[in-house]
Amino acid sequence: MSETQLMLDTAERIFADHCDKALLDAAETGAFPRELWKVIAESGLPLLATPEIGGSLTDAFRLLRVAGRHAVPVPLAEALIANHLMGLGNCAPRASTVTLGIADSYSGEGAEVSVSLSSVPWARSVDQVCYVIGDPVEIILLDVADCDVTPGANIAGEARDRVSFLGVPDRCGSSETITVETVFELMALSRCALMSGALERCLELSCDYAMERKQFGRELAKFQAIQHQLAVMACEVAAAGRATDAAIGCLGESRFVAMVASAKSRVGEAAGVVAEIAHQVHGAMGYTHEHRLHHFTRRLLAWRDEYGRETYWQQRLGRDAIAGGADATWAFIVGR
Amino acid sequence: MQALKFDDIALPPEAEALRGEVRAFIERAMPQDTLPDSDFNQGHDPAFSKALAEQGWIGMTWPTRYGGGGRTFFERYVVTEELLAAGAPVSAHWIADRQSGPLLLRYGTEAQRERFVPAIARGECFFSIGMSEPDSGSDLASVRTRAERRGEGYVVNGTKVWTTDAQRNHFIIALVRTSQTSENRHAGLSQLIIDLKGPGVTVRPIRNLAGDEDFNEVVFENCFVGADMLVGSEGNGWEQVTSELGYERSGPERFLSAFRVLVEFVRAVGPDPDDHVAAVVGRLVSHLMTLRAMSISVAGMLQQGQNPALEAALVKALGNDFEKSVPEILRVAAPHLEEGSRFRATLAQTLLHAPSFTLRGGTREILRGVIARGLGLR
Repeated sequence: MSETQLMLDTAERIFADHCDKALLDAAETGAFPRELWKVIAESGLPLLATPEIGGSLTDAFRLLRVAGRHAVPVPLAEALIANHLMGLGNCAPRASTVTLGIADSYSGEGAEVSVSLSSVPWARSVDQVCYVIGDPVEIILLDVADCDVTPGANIAGEARDRVSFLGVPDRCGSSETITVETVFELMALSRCALMSGALERCLELSCDYAMERKQFGRELAKFQAIQHQLAVMACEVAAAGRATDAAIGCLGESRFVAMVASAKSRVGEAAGVVAEIAHQVHGAMGYTHEHRLHHFTRRLLAWRDEYGRETYWQQRLGRDAIAGGADATWAFIVGR
Repeated sequence: MQALKFDDIALPPEAEALRGEVRAFIERAMPQDTLPDSDFNQGHDPAFSKALAEQGWIGMTWPTRYGGGGRTFFERYVVTEELLAAGAPVSAHWIADRQSGPLLLRYGTEAQRERFVPAIARGECFFSIGMSEPDSGSDLASVRTRAERRGEGYVVNGTKVWTTDAQRNHFIIALVRTSQTSENRHAGLSQLIIDLKGPGVTVRPIRNLAGDEDFNEVVFENCFVGADMLVGSEGNGWEQVTSELGYERSGPERFLSAFRVLVEFVRAVGPDPDDHVAAVVGRLVSHLMTLRAMSISVAGMLQQGQNPALEAALVKALGNDFEKSVPEILRVAAPHLEEGSRFRATLAQTLLHAPSFTLRGGTREILRGVIARGLGLR
């Protein structure tokens, strides 16, 4: 068994053991799952994409797909990318817990800056917030203790906090291999990976339910109308997974931006279709808070909006596709 | 629930190396007097097929001793997608290259392979599919065309229908009943190679709603077929027709049929369209890139000798719905339909052919049934 597979199996086990309905419900009311976060940190998973571990970004995105299957309610994507960035910037290793944000307003002269970041996952519960700024990029770490944090949440009840900082930040390193844009693209891909996992889970839950639940004296799965709905769902889930893998496969290549644009748009579309069908198949049962389906469907609806919704990426992709003229449209699609 | 398996496979360099060559060939050989159409059923042009064969691009994956190219499925993939994207006239050789050749290589007798396969690879021998009948569309196992054993062969009676290019092609591989229906509906079926120009065969073109005569009714009246034209073994027809579904359903022809409409749309809207138009193009491009990646995964499974029937059904279901939606989406996204423009002409042509996209080669509903079975629901 490959090392990657071993790591993914370990992760699957940790997530499955911890992420039950009670933990997800508690996290969605704002209770940070410290015990789970501790286990994840001790397993070394958040450091998967740092040079010290020797892992790769590819593995980090594969891990996020598994995390998506379990709706893992911790800022794992942010920690993975923040640690990756700190690795790129040769920052001194830290034992602290970290999340990541995108600076949406920034001003400053000399050492002192004023910065604010919106929708930062779990800023209220971790030690530090990482962001990048400038060209070449500087990798900045803010101590949460020095920040003004306003708690917020997305429609899945996931902590998305507003962070403001005024002072002299810790410029922990810089990198010429990435740009501020690259970080946005990596985070968009993280949402694709999380969604791919959640989509697979929705399909499994829906198929299982259709085979269990009986109406008119037979299982829902025996009705052709239901079979066709689930087939449509399977098509969307497969497309999303493949689009995500294709983008992961282009990490570090010139084609990466186009592949992320394509993936975020395609996966976001699949998220809407799959969430709708999953609820239709589950009927009123799946509409209750008591059922676990909504932990996955609400995340799909939230994640498709994070780091550029479909329209944003479609416009970018469309403009790039058009740029070469009609007769080069095909060359753009195949990347050659 | 069977896991849906789409391996992360990219086209290898030796396949990509072919792309430039194929484009240069298309540039040279593409007829100039017709509107390019990405639908594989459009454009029956034996001269183009012959020229393509001279490049070694028909029967590419077949063994060299039968005139094939001994190349990979990835190389074939590059050639087929480039031809479709350019809207080249590929209909003449398409079926023979995609499925008749592989079928004969797998199940045919040595004599059949030697007679037909090299001729197909030379671009001189074209085949039609003989499956559907007036009373057997999606319910293929209900075919009634009979082949009765007589002397050194069979006497065939019955009617095939919706047979694309039967009036132009040389042979049909007909699915026939060689013994009466039993409990097992899939038993008693066989495949026969029948000369479309031979005695006892009448081909009548059927005009489609676009006004074209692409498909036909093929009537067999006491048509004598030598026993040496039986493909595989008698009674094994069902297994044989279903074994090729991986090839038949997963290729780029299942999502590129409307591609030229997108190209002409991009031409019509110019280099700097508004955000909405850019997003429409981006959305279609994201679907194409995804379908292509899925289709290449299936090519990889074929290359490894696997039978990806479920994955192929998925690609076709998704791809057909997509290609059917393309003209509808672009029609409403176009700011204006300029009289006499290439966009308008291509759009009209594709809109009229679009109803066939989700019918041919297994309807959307049949495919969804196949997928549901794969999910363990039936």
